Amino acid sequence: MSDVTTLHPARRSAPARQAPNGGELLMRYGFFILVILVFAGFTFLRPTFIAPGNIHGMLLSSSIAALMFLGLTWIIATGEIDVSFMSVAALSNMFTAWLVQAGYGWEAASLGGLGTGVLFGLLNAALVAGLRLPALVITIATGALAASLAAALGKGTSISLASTGFVGDLLAARIGVLPLIAVFVGLLYALCWFVQEKLTFGHYIYAMEQNRAAVVEAGVPVNRMLFMLYVLSGVVSALAGVLLAGNLSSGQPYLGTSYFLDGLTAVLLGGMALKLGKPNVIGTLTAVIFLIGLLNGAALLGWTDSERQIVRGSLLLVGVGLVVVARTRRRSAAHT
Amino acid sequence: MIRNQLIWRLGAFAALVALITVLFAMQNSAYVSEGNIRALMRHMSVQGLAALGLTFVIVVRHFDLSFPGVASLGAMTLGWLIAIGMPLWVAVTGGLAMGFAFGLVNGIAVARLGLPDIVTTIATGGLAIGFSYFYSNGTSISQNFFMSGLLDLNDSKIIGLDMPFAILIGTALIACLLLHASRFGAGFYATGQNRLSARFAGVPTTTLIILAFALCATLASLSITLLVASSGAANVTAGNQLLMPAFAAVYLGAALFGRPSVGATLSGTLLMSMMLNGFTLLAIPYYYSDAIVSTVLITAIAIFDPRISAALRRLWPSQRQAA
Repeated sequence: MSDVTTLHPARRSAPARQAPNGGELLMRYGFFILVILVFAGFTFLRPTFIAPGNIHGMLLSSSIAALMFLGLTWIIATGEIDVSFMSVAALSNMFTAWLVQAGYGWEAASLGGLGTGVLFGLLNAALVAGLRLPALVITIATGALAASLAAALGKGTSISLASTGFVGDLLAARIGVLPLIAVFVGLLYALCWFVQEKLTFGHYIYAMEQNRAAVVEAGVPVNRMLFMLYVLSGVVSALAGVLLAGNLSSGQPYLGTSYFLDGLTAVLLGGMALKLGKPNVIGTLTAVIFLIGLLNGAALLGWTDSERQIVRGSLLLVGVGLVVVARTRRRSAAHT
Repeated sequence: MIRNQLIWRLGAFAALVALITVLFAMQNSAYVSEGNIRALMRHMSVQGLAALGLTFVIVVRHFDLSFPGVASLGAMTLGWLIAIGMPLWVAVTGGLAMGFAFGLVNGIAVARLGLPDIVTTIATGGLAIGFSYFYSNGTSISQNFFMSGLLDLNDSKIIGLDMPFAILIGTALIACLLLHASRFGAGFYATGQNRLSARFAGVPTTTLIILAFALCATLASLSITLLVASSGAANVTAGNQLLMPAFAAVYLGAALFGRPSVGATLSGTLLMSMMLNGFTLLAIPYYYSDAIVSTVLITAIAIFDPRISAALRRLWPSQRQAA
């Protein structure tokens, strides 16, 4: 019944700047508290959780994953979807490994890997933003295309590499417990936070999700923005793929599957932090660290694959549920 | 006018079928042999059942990304029930019931609770995969399969038709009755076009959306039952190969016939299966199949998109028939 009644603009929508009450504050910052509590729990049960080596490893994997999900965060924030990001990363990973194996240097190979990301970003952008075709089906198809090419490059198996070149050096560089790459990714996220919060670009992203037609009417070049976002998603996914080639010292054609659920979970769960259901970069970063820490802690505690899968799936469901609850409470009009 | 259009579309479909047949038969004459056509029909049965289920969800303008995971769970449930010595009908019913239950959860979450369909079904699909690891911690199950009679589902025949194909035809007939010859069918389409006005017209939209998701998950489980029967083992990744072909079949069919329907989905499945079977016969490695399917899918969506086909017609006004 609710969708019949709520579509009528009976109540005044979106009261401007409510005074923050306790419940809202809890929702805004509750996620950070949850992360701290869970991590404290792991530390209590398995003190090796905060051993420097373990922290370093977690930060390294978090940096790569966070890089991969950066474009996805904003795409979901605009109300669109991209389910090809993990396959693009896998393709870039395989292409880099393939080039290195074929005798090109790591520099050229990395550029080649990035190139595949640009290519697939442009393809998605042209089809979804340019031709306005349905984003989900198109990115399912381009993702399958990328995954299939990735598998074809290695004839169905992985490519193992003897050296890891400058990518390996970059990943190995560290400042104490902090990997250098984590600093770079952190700076990138800080920059994106600035773009998202202080520039009109960021405001348009959230405006697009609320009312696409109104944003178009206001003269915002919506299609150009979407185009840029899909290219961005392709590029950062490919960058993550290149880094993974160095990190795993191999090309793994099927690495995408494990990042798929994590990416969406990170974005939606992260959306709960700070912005009450709107995907945002700081939320994604926190959620990535949370998910990697959870996976790591679960491994230390000896959980089975099944249990970890169920926890991930449940977290995504909880994320989706919270987003919807938060939105319906904040907005009087249900969006459809 | 509508009749003319249907004839034109049927003609285009027949032309595509003939073109694909000729191209592959020229490369390898075994393509049109009886053995290969039977193999093609078996392949089509598995893909077609999953695509038929998805058709209902697409008709009500929703998406379901959980059916591959749910199908894997159905396969493992089926395998486990057979392995512990349950009779065949209990095992098959158990697998289907598991799918049905997940479909209900999806439907209720989307239609009643108003959760966004894409991410919700991704999450429930992830959950289903998690549960599918429970039975054997991820290893494939094949105990008792020979004794149970499950393999007969693949091998036996009814009135000259292979059992899987007979099941597909039977299911398609029922789906056709439901979607194209009953009040419910009109309700499904009305719900997809405008849920609010459909509701005011007295269509039980919530029930129909829940039913669509339940049908999708149940048919995916049925399709995986046939796959398990033909491969002789149940494993946790069984459903992964359903996702792309099912979406491709529904969208290809909808593109050819103007809207998603049972007939359109079957046509789409036939075209996909003909191509995949042909490429297999030409010994093209398996990992290219997704590339082929996705290229066809993107092309179909792009060419048949109303604005793009209109633009194409403006470019070549006289060649409208040639497409």
